[in-house]
Amino acid sequence: MELISILGSTIRTAVPLVFASLGGIYSERSGVVNIALEGMMLAGAFTAAAVTAKLHNPWLGVLAAALAGILVALVHAVACINLKANQVVIGTAINIMFVAVPGLLSGALFDSTGSTPQLAREETLATPLVYAAFLAVPLSWYLLFKTPFGLRLRASGEKPEAADTAGVSVTAMRYYGVLASGLLAGLGGAYLSIGQNSLFTRNMTAGRGFIALAAVILGNWHPLKTLAACLLFGFAEAVSIRMQGVSSIPNQFIQIIPYVLTMVVLSGFVGRVSPPKALGQPYIKERR
Amino acid sequence: MRCWLLLLCMLTLLAICCKLDVEQAAQGRVRVGIVYDIGGKDDKSFNTAAWQGVERAKKELGILLRDVEPGDPTSIEPCLRAFAERNYDLIIGVGFAQSPLVESVARDYPDLRFAIIDSHIPLPNVASLVFKEHEGSFLVGMIAARTSKTGKIGFVGGMDIPLIHKFLVGYEEGARFVRPDIQVIPNFVGITDAAWNNPSKGKELAKSQIDKGCDVIFQAAGNSGLGVFDAAEESGKLAIGVDSNQNWIKPGFILTSMIKRVDVAVYNTVKEVVQGRFKGGVHLYGLENDGVGFALDQYNKHLISDELLAELEQAKQKIVSGEIKVTDYMAK
Repeated sequence: MELISILGSTIRTAVPLVFASLGGIYSERSGVVNIALEGMMLAGAFTAAAVTAKLHNPWLGVLAAALAGILVALVHAVACINLKANQVVIGTAINIMFVAVPGLLSGALFDSTGSTPQLAREETLATPLVYAAFLAVPLSWYLLFKTPFGLRLRASGEKPEAADTAGVSVTAMRYYGVLASGLLAGLGGAYLSIGQNSLFTRNMTAGRGFIALAAVILGNWHPLKTLAACLLFGFAEAVSIRMQGVSSIPNQFIQIIPYVLTMVVLSGFVGRVSPPKALGQPYIKERR
Repeated sequence: MRCWLLLLCMLTLLAICCKLDVEQAAQGRVRVGIVYDIGGKDDKSFNTAAWQGVERAKKELGILLRDVEPGDPTSIEPCLRAFAERNYDLIIGVGFAQSPLVESVARDYPDLRFAIIDSHIPLPNVASLVFKEHEGSFLVGMIAARTSKTGKIGFVGGMDIPLIHKFLVGYEEGARFVRPDIQVIPNFVGITDAAWNNPSKGKELAKSQIDKGCDVIFQAAGNSGLGVFDAAEESGKLAIGVDSNQNWIKPGFILTSMIKRVDVAVYNTVKEVVQGRFKGGVHLYGLENDGVGFALDQYNKHLISDELLAELEQAKQKIVSGEIKVTDYMAK
């Protein structure tokens, strides 16, 4: 009984991380740092809840969340790929922006100041999104490592000059990578607002975008290993929840379990991580 | 590109000028600035209550109201200072976390009037609005224990701070008062301020408590508490709301709400400023002046029996008269 309860909790906690970290993999494999996952998740979470509240159809909510994620990703892509801005700075700007944007829009749409109306339980959509997350992992692995498209995308992140010489459009590949990350992070956000919960509240991602990024690094930019990392985080969280209040260990120690686990795993078991070589470098043609 | 940037800067300047116009138009009216806690004014709980207080004051007393929702803890102090620099007649800080910030700003502006909610600042120009949360929690603890069939009840706190333990201790004592063998399982969402805005984790905590056999869960967790309501609805259990009357959020699944009349406290303070009788020092809101209590309305009438109501009324009288002593965690 306890085991089933922990497993359920692990999966529910891991789903938004799986979506967002897969998104992170696409973007970073193509050579664009994406710390804007948090902002993209918030955009998706808000849009999903807002559209569902207006149209009473969670499927449309999910679709809209994916589009919202892509739209935010487009901003990131234009700034990072075309305008060659610093990718970390742009990502941070997007994250800060999406603390405020949902508040602004919810005021206009629902006359509230940061949250969407409570949805009925029939209007939430948890299970299909859970399946989608776990299906997206092998699909992404296949796409990235077994298809010509995946090879081109990874080449743009490893050695864009070589990809360019071989006739691959680095710009296009990076656009695909960043937009895919927006789509997936948007879905992760949708799971938070209309899957797990039944409304959007201010900053409801609570740092999950950054934990997803840690999962990407822990999983060495590989979908299957990243899935394992997400499940590990989910498991640590589930266990720490169940240890709280039962043992005599001070609460603060139990709360840090997921983070300590991350550090231990990162430093001891993963070995050297190897990020894509051209990660974070804007590609400028003809530069020697 | 540069053209656009220049245009943007000019537009910003224009916007600031317009803002100044508005400030001047307010001459003669009492100006009140309020800075919410990190949960934001739409948390349907603590901050919402503060917001309702100032909104009521705006309607009834005709004050000029400016409010700010800080995006992160570091932007709280600049917001407070911005109000102080413009000589606002009353500057309100919502929540314990702003206590040191309000204190330092109030020291720098001894001629201005400040109010802080949930904390005590020993300055003559600061009104400290504090509540006896432990007394209200005692009553909802009684309701929880009387309603529970399993003999196990839960508590989901937001950030693990003394103030929230004050709720917890009162709740436990109330539950034990009517049912000494009751088991209370307490959980906290987190140890940083992000704990107020994490409904998913609130829901997971509630689910784990339900798995352990809890059938009534009291939440004092801001936005994270909304996840507790979701968990209660999903499993057909009961939750208890906090600060505002939250019974309407999930009708039938919210047993009652521990009300903390932040709105009344805020309104009274604004009124005192308007009438020129503002006083610094501690303003205490407890059961005796209906500053705390539990919510009873059309959504939860059928969940609470008349005998229980009589018992609660009796307990309330005894707490007010001092016959029952509820431990104040923060007084220790």
